[in-house]
Amino acid sequence: MLTENFCYKKTSFPVCGFAHMKNLINFLIQYSVVFLFLFLEVISFTLIVKNQDYQKSVFLSSSNSVASTMFEWSNSVVEFFKLRAANDNLSEENTALKNQLVKLQNQLVSLKKETPDSVHFRIPPEMEYQFIAAKVIKCTTNKTLNYITINKGALDGIKPDMGVVSDEGVVGIVKTVSPKFSVVIPILNPKIEISCKFKRSNYSGGLLWNGEDSRYANLNDIARHVELALGDTLITSGLTSTFPEGIPVGNIEDFKIKESDAYYKIKVKLAVDFRTLSHVKVINYLNYQEQKDLEKKSEEQ
Amino acid sequence: MPTVLQNIIRFILLVLFQVLVLDNIQFLGYINPYLYILFILALPVQTPRWFSLLLAFTLGISIGICSNTPGQHAFATVLVAFARDGIIKLFTSIEEGNNPTPSFYTFGVSAYIKYVVILVVLHNVALFFLESFSFVSGWIILTKVVLSSLVTILMILGIQSFSKK
Repeated sequence: MLTENFCYKKTSFPVCGFAHMKNLINFLIQYSVVFLFLFLEVISFTLIVKNQDYQKSVFLSSSNSVASTMFEWSNSVVEFFKLRAANDNLSEENTALKNQLVKLQNQLVSLKKETPDSVHFRIPPEMEYQFIAAKVIKCTTNKTLNYITINKGALDGIKPDMGVVSDEGVVGIVKTVSPKFSVVIPILNPKIEISCKFKRSNYSGGLLWNGEDSRYANLNDIARHVELALGDTLITSGLTSTFPEGIPVGNIEDFKIKESDAYYKIKVKLAVDFRTLSHVKVINYLNYQEQKDLEKKSEEQ
Repeated sequence: MPTVLQNIIRFILLVLFQVLVLDNIQFLGYINPYLYILFILALPVQTPRWFSLLLAFTLGISIGICSNTPGQHAFATVLVAFARDGIIKLFTSIEEGNNPTPSFYTFGVSAYIKYVVILVVLHNVALFFLESFSFVSGWIILTKVVLSSLVTILMILGIQSFSKK
């Protein structure tokens, strides 16, 4: 009796076993729901943290087969209503391309006359890009972390970190890839920052979305001595290997600077309208691996 | 219709409606109502707590997978399922042995409105803060919480006032 009382007081040590086992079991049963609650919340929280690691969780993203099949089906219904707009865009682009073709052919002819000697011409390595056309089967714009699912995947040659563009401009970067589908992080997701520069002055900065309006984003890191004008065009800088130089990103909608600030606050109207996005092109930079390896090597030395 | 079957159908319909319709609709720019939480709110009162927690986790994961944010939805939904029992005990006096489905008729109008408002706001606050606490400024999150909660609450109350006893 005495010993048992004594034991109750120092509950944290399992010295006199049985009574404490019983206590412990009672305790566990009484609070089992709380434990289950905590357990599930810990799993959820782990998922939140883990999900930020790149390309690991194909199963837990909308590129898993059940979710993507469902979205593809729903998209085929929705897309029917977008056909007219898509057609208009295509024909416009077609015309522009044909014009360009004619212009280039003319230039080629004129060049041939001037240099009759055969000049060995190679595409510079940073220009070796290939486009993979894909269809958007799911795209959100009203969340804080938006994602896009497209209907091409690893079998079509898509890999994580590739850039994605549409006919209007930059869309985003590939995050997760399954055999037939991929998930893209668009500009409309504060997890990525796109390096871009002014077409006019070549000053570069990072473009970041603030979670508010799907038509606008903010440009950071432009110092106060740079001259700006409303409507200035922003293009990709080509400083990262994800996007080649010169793809349109947007125009300056508005900019502010206070007396005390060193950097501008710039509001950019995005070139791409994400609410009507239906067809995209994934950029495959053929020398990506070579460039990465080289950069890694020189960092190690 | 047996309650179990009714709840299974409700689960499937709410997930599909959330993912295929609500996630694609723009209300005033950036409101995304999360109606799926109605499934947890409408579980029978005496559902074992461990079971409603597991259901909430499954629901959260299913919604989350479709929007690429699995953890956030699971976390918020499990939180709501955990808080539900306390809220019910606080506002209503359900007799022992009764197992009604929460609604205007069983809870009374004011108790049911309070029940919906508190749980929906809890869900939205948890969700939006987890989704964006390090990325976006506090005012934007607050605006989103208020507007999204409001739309979700109105939708739930609207649906409930049309449903039969």
